[in-house]
Amino acid sequence: MTIANKNYFEIFSLQESFDLDLENLTVEYKNLQSQMHPDKFSGADDASRLHALQLSSIINDAFDTLKSPLKRAAYLLTLNGINPEENNQNHLAESFLLQQMEWRDLLDDATEEEDLTLVENLKQEVMEERENCIIEFQDFVNAYNFVDAKPIYNKLQFVEKMLVEINRSEEKILDY
Amino acid sequence: MALLSISEPGQSPRRSHANKHALGIDLGTTNSLVASASPDGPKVITNEDGCELLPSVVAYSKNKILVGQLALNSAEQISSVKRLMGRGSSDIKHKLSYTLTNAESGGMPLIETSAGLKSPVEVSAEILKVLAAQGKQYLNAEIDGVVITVPAYFDEAQRQATKDAARIADLNVLRLLSEPTAAAVAYGLDKKLEGNVIIFDLGGGTFDVSLMRLEKGVFEVLATGGDTALGGDDFDRAIMHWVQEQSQIELQQEQIAELSSIARNAKHVLTEEQTVEIKFSAWSGVLSREHYYQLIDPLIQQTLKACRRVLRDASMEISDITDVVMVGGSTRSPRVQEKVESFFQRSLLNEIDPDQVVALGAAIQADILVGNKYDNDLLLLDVNPLSLGIETMGSLVEKIIPRNTTIPVSRAQDFTTFKDGQTVMSLHVLQGERELVEDCRSLAKFELCGIPPMVAGAAVIRVSFQVDADGLLSVEAEEQSSGVKSSIVVKPSFGLEEKEIEAMILASHREAEHDRDLRRLKENEVEALRIIEAIKSALAQDAELLDEAELKSLQQGLSTLEEALKSDDADLIQQHSEALNELSVTFAARRMDSQIKTAFKGKKLEEVDR
Repeated sequence: MTIANKNYFEIFSLQESFDLDLENLTVEYKNLQSQMHPDKFSGADDASRLHALQLSSIINDAFDTLKSPLKRAAYLLTLNGINPEENNQNHLAESFLLQQMEWRDLLDDATEEEDLTLVENLKQEVMEERENCIIEFQDFVNAYNFVDAKPIYNKLQFVEKMLVEINRSEEKILDY
Repeated sequence: MALLSISEPGQSPRRSHANKHALGIDLGTTNSLVASASPDGPKVITNEDGCELLPSVVAYSKNKILVGQLALNSAEQISSVKRLMGRGSSDIKHKLSYTLTNAESGGMPLIETSAGLKSPVEVSAEILKVLAAQGKQYLNAEIDGVVITVPAYFDEAQRQATKDAARIADLNVLRLLSEPTAAAVAYGLDKKLEGNVIIFDLGGGTFDVSLMRLEKGVFEVLATGGDTALGGDDFDRAIMHWVQEQSQIELQQEQIAELSSIARNAKHVLTEEQTVEIKFSAWSGVLSREHYYQLIDPLIQQTLKACRRVLRDASMEISDITDVVMVGGSTRSPRVQEKVESFFQRSLLNEIDPDQVVALGAAIQADILVGNKYDNDLLLLDVNPLSLGIETMGSLVEKIIPRNTTIPVSRAQDFTTFKDGQTVMSLHVLQGERELVEDCRSLAKFELCGIPPMVAGAAVIRVSFQVDADGLLSVEAEEQSSGVKSSIVVKPSFGLEEKEIEAMILASHREAEHDRDLRRLKENEVEALRIIEAIKSALAQDAELLDEAELKSLQQGLSTLEEALKSDDADLIQQHSEALNELSVTFAARRMDSQIKTAFKGKKLEEVDR
């Protein structure tokens, strides 16, 4: 089996799970890149260089996917036959959606008033929700219950999007 | 040769031929340098006058091309050409001492010279030629390959232009290397620096800041930022502007070079003295250091803003930074040092000459890439500095590869048709961080034709982006749902057309055609011998990976090439070399796969196999 046919977990010789040892992953990643990076084939013929470029790109993409909880979650769902983007809003609890709107309003106000403390507090709250989502998702995956894990992934998507917006607002206030 | 270099890690094959010769080139806005690695460490190569820095200035006359110091006395000098690389007329905002025309080549405006119109790429090639000749003379050998540094923040078009210049100068580019990464290599390998390191690189015309993690031979760029049009030249320009304001002199084009040199001198004097007296034309005045600082502080502030951005992109705080390395001649400015020191709250590293450090790092990397150091475990993980994307409905940019993604990288995204029976799709490739097409840099436009007619939304067009280790992009589009494939690979619209490059190479070598033919024959012979040697040694090790027919055709290819070698016919040798290379593709791929299997050995693959 070649790297191109392996799934991302297999590439790094890892068990398929949501709970990853990131340090171990990083070591494996650097180990593989040390062998496959195009720089290691700079004197090689075109075919080998192209091959190295492709493999090295796959390894980078695999690492990029697995190191991010959100991308890792989506990838795990896909591997288990579930399309993570299907009906991604329909089945979210109304209370969660209301909370989303509340957060958004809060952020808009804080950005307008350039109130950094308010933004930081909101960030804290959203980070906690993110942690909760991650734990919940992990529990379902550990029980091989991917059907119930999926809506948690969609929640996590919302939360991550919120964090991106919070960061953008911070940058705006701090004038980056 | 791949077939040689894919032997198992740690079991480096002995090279049968002598050391190869490689150069590291820092192609700067104001000055350029060339360095080479030797067993005693890397060294900057001086020219016959003992100078290390070659001013990046070219002067054309009817029958001569002057480069460097020699060009500085010419009235018709072209300087800071790096700022024009991969740039359109609308990007160039400041006054130049030479004339740009409306004519374009590869999207770049052409420069008027006594020897006709010249593209910025050709001018850069002249500088590269002189540096390469300097290296060749010093090493007393043909140059097998070079590493050329570019600002980390250089976009696709600027990188492509640099690579094109190297081709015109007839140089084999092993790698385009980011300047801060090169500096990190010099510090990491020479000074054993480790940790989270900020590389603050303020050159003549460009500013780069990179945050890198250096550990055990792995040099990883975590985030990079900067401004390709901010540098020490802008400090000079601030003084020029002040002089103009004070003197009320209407600046003529022929005075620009003179005033710019007056400003540069004043800047240097102010690093030592509290005031400087400036004389220009009939006017004279005094500039105090304090006032000078007021002029340049906004510029320094811009660099610090980029530093904050980079810290943020890497999710780090100032307290996470272990060292700050200063690179580039403009970091000699006491004011810059003072500001950067107080921003990062730590003392700065500048023990390696900030003018030389980039070229030295490039030389180390060139030496490794050319194959002189098989046992090295150096790994450079660079990132793409700007997001790459594609135009979607409503003039919006859909990002496909976000900035600061580790390269090489390939990403694909599916798009679809929006009209029934649509057979053509236009694709517009862009680079930049903004949401709107008009705010990003247009890299290429192309059309995918021959989509089989279907109802709207049924076709699946997969657009794939591939960025290589040099940071260069190729884009491919392919219609998938019907099984009918049509695809296209584009070069950025700012890059030169292949035929333009060919023409420039020809023009640059017309006088030396005969030498070139001879050299080509020699090169082809060497290449053929290398292929033969590599395949033979690969066969000796791994012949069992091939079936009988494959083995036979490979052996036939070998003897045909050996026969061609006796002919002194460069084309014939090349043709058979390529044919043999082609034949060995499957073999190379199989050996690489078997090597990866070996790398996985002992890790209980079956446990992860599903």
